[in-house]
Amino acid sequence: MWFASALIGLREGLEAALVVSILVAFLVKTDRKHALRWVWLGVGVAVLLSVGIGAILTYSTAQLSFEQQELLGGTLSIVAVGFVTAMIFWMRKASRTIAAELRGKLDEALNVGPVAVLVLSFFAVGREGLETAVFFYSTVQTAQGGTTEPLIGFTAGILTAVVLAYLLYRGAVRFDLGRFFTITGVLLVFVAAGVLGYGLHDLQEAAFLPGLNTLAFDASNVLPETSWYGALLKGIFNYSQQTTVLQAVAWVAYVAIVLPLFLRPKKKAATAPVAAAVKE
Amino acid sequence: MSRRFPLAALAGVGALVLTACGGGEETPAAAGGPIKVEASDSACAVSVNTASAGNVTFEITNKGSKVTEFYLYAEGDRIMGEVENIAPGLNRRLIVEVAEAGKYQTACKPGMTGNGLRGDFTVTGGGAKQTDPNSQKAQAVKSYAEYVANNTKALDEETTKFVALVKANKAEEAKAAYARTRVYFERVEPVAEKFGDLDPKIDAREADLEPGQKFTGFHRLEKDLWVSGLQPDAPQIADQLLADVKELVTKSAALELNALDLANGAKELLDEIATGKITGEEEAFSHTDLSDFQGNLDGSKAAIASLRPLLQAKDPALVSTLDKEFGSVQALLDKQREGDGFKLYTALSQDQIKEFASAVDALSEPLSKVAEVAAQ
Repeated sequence: MWFASALIGLREGLEAALVVSILVAFLVKTDRKHALRWVWLGVGVAVLLSVGIGAILTYSTAQLSFEQQELLGGTLSIVAVGFVTAMIFWMRKASRTIAAELRGKLDEALNVGPVAVLVLSFFAVGREGLETAVFFYSTVQTAQGGTTEPLIGFTAGILTAVVLAYLLYRGAVRFDLGRFFTITGVLLVFVAAGVLGYGLHDLQEAAFLPGLNTLAFDASNVLPETSWYGALLKGIFNYSQQTTVLQAVAWVAYVAIVLPLFLRPKKKAATAPVAAAVKE
Repeated sequence: MSRRFPLAALAGVGALVLTACGGGEETPAAAGGPIKVEASDSACAVSVNTASAGNVTFEITNKGSKVTEFYLYAEGDRIMGEVENIAPGLNRRLIVEVAEAGKYQTACKPGMTGNGLRGDFTVTGGGAKQTDPNSQKAQAVKSYAEYVANNTKALDEETTKFVALVKANKAEEAKAAYARTRVYFERVEPVAEKFGDLDPKIDAREADLEPGQKFTGFHRLEKDLWVSGLQPDAPQIADQLLADVKELVTKSAALELNALDLANGAKELLDEIATGKITGEEEAFSHTDLSDFQGNLDGSKAAIASLRPLLQAKDPALVSTLDKEFGSVQALLDKQREGDGFKLYTALSQDQIKEFASAVDALSEPLSKVAEVAAQ
């Protein structure tokens, strides 16, 4: 009983913590520790906002309509994709700078302002924050009225996600710089592709976009989201067992465009994609 | 560092919850509180399947072992509202604003897969135009009451003739009149069952008698006519039968039915067929079961015909299913016609009986949904 709740906590926690841990590793690796406070500020604001709105929705008669909820989750996810994409290309630029051994120029090359870091971490955590907070409150209410198992499970799941994210951070930091950027960058490409698909699916559920029931595949039996490995896949890559055609097309298109751009041989002046990515 | 912060955040969340949990009392938006949904791995029990337009609140409890989701769909599977991540043991609330009256569906998705366990959900009031269901119900009851009156009158007339033949000791003619007379009774049997012991007095089978209960009515005379010959007390039995039938006519004329009675009656008649006629138990001596079968079927059809406008407005798909299944049972019966009656039950092969049974089952299934629709 508690295990199912633990998987939900693990999944939601990973979705939020993964990007943040890579961002932290990135800042640490590039000697920009002073920017970390902005990360925690972004995370903190996202958590407090989710918790606050979640409390209002749970303990008062205020409510968001289903469409509003999905539009919110979907829009935040798609905005988050824009920021993560920008981060991917910051990393690419950083690795070029590193590769050219222009350590001194690193700060100039990586003109990542505090606002960008704050906003990125805010969206990474906030996009799923409300749903998670509302779920958390329902486990609390259940604990008051019956069984504490879902609350215990959920908390354990969140903690596991945090530990995993921390381990990822520790592991990532151990790589040499060039490889760190490549590995985490590629990882982020797939994460962002998943978040994009997830956001589009939310918009489909809100009937804002068509094609909710036009499935590309249904892997419910092969790779169920309710299994621990399914939950991990969902938490890390936003895998969904029933993927709509729109989701699949967006995922493939994103990976097909961004991955080659990220991995293409390093030439001079690769600023165009960065500009494009930031504009998204 | 990265671990410490989320922990702190969780602690902060905990503190917030403690301050927020002061009251804990909620006043649900809808009168009568939220609609309870008990979800499990194989069921989705929604306590009420109708609501007034406006905010509809569902309170879902997952009693199963899998994570489940709850949806409210409008026609064409448009999502009106959903709650995901209902972990085992968890209660979650869904408030959906439903502005338009109409047909909706609830669904639980244990394991978050597939189309879910669907149930029909009707929303009334609001802006949708519809004929007043109460007037439709009144119309249905009125038209069915006429049907009952016509048939009890015919039953009275035919029983009078039959009883006269028995009393005149004209066994062969009485045998010929027997099945014809019983059809009228079989058509309105659910009505007869509303009057305590009248039904057993008229229609008890010998095999079903309680200890100490006297064997009277149609089946007692059936046994005399087909098996043991007319007994000395047959005239008294016949008189009693006629008296009981007349009482039934009087009482049913005064009976006040409602739409739900019609729906339940239509289903009961099918159950009668399944338990008595298809088994050949009803007419154990004369084997005229198929004629009774036709009577039951007629009665069921008549009840549905009276309810038709009401059902058509609420669930047209159900109406077409009913038409189709009634048709296929009737087609099987028609194959067994002989002269102005039916072949004897004993002439049926095992395969034909099986065919009847499955056709009756296929009709029972949509019939069992009628009550729910009629009750709305």
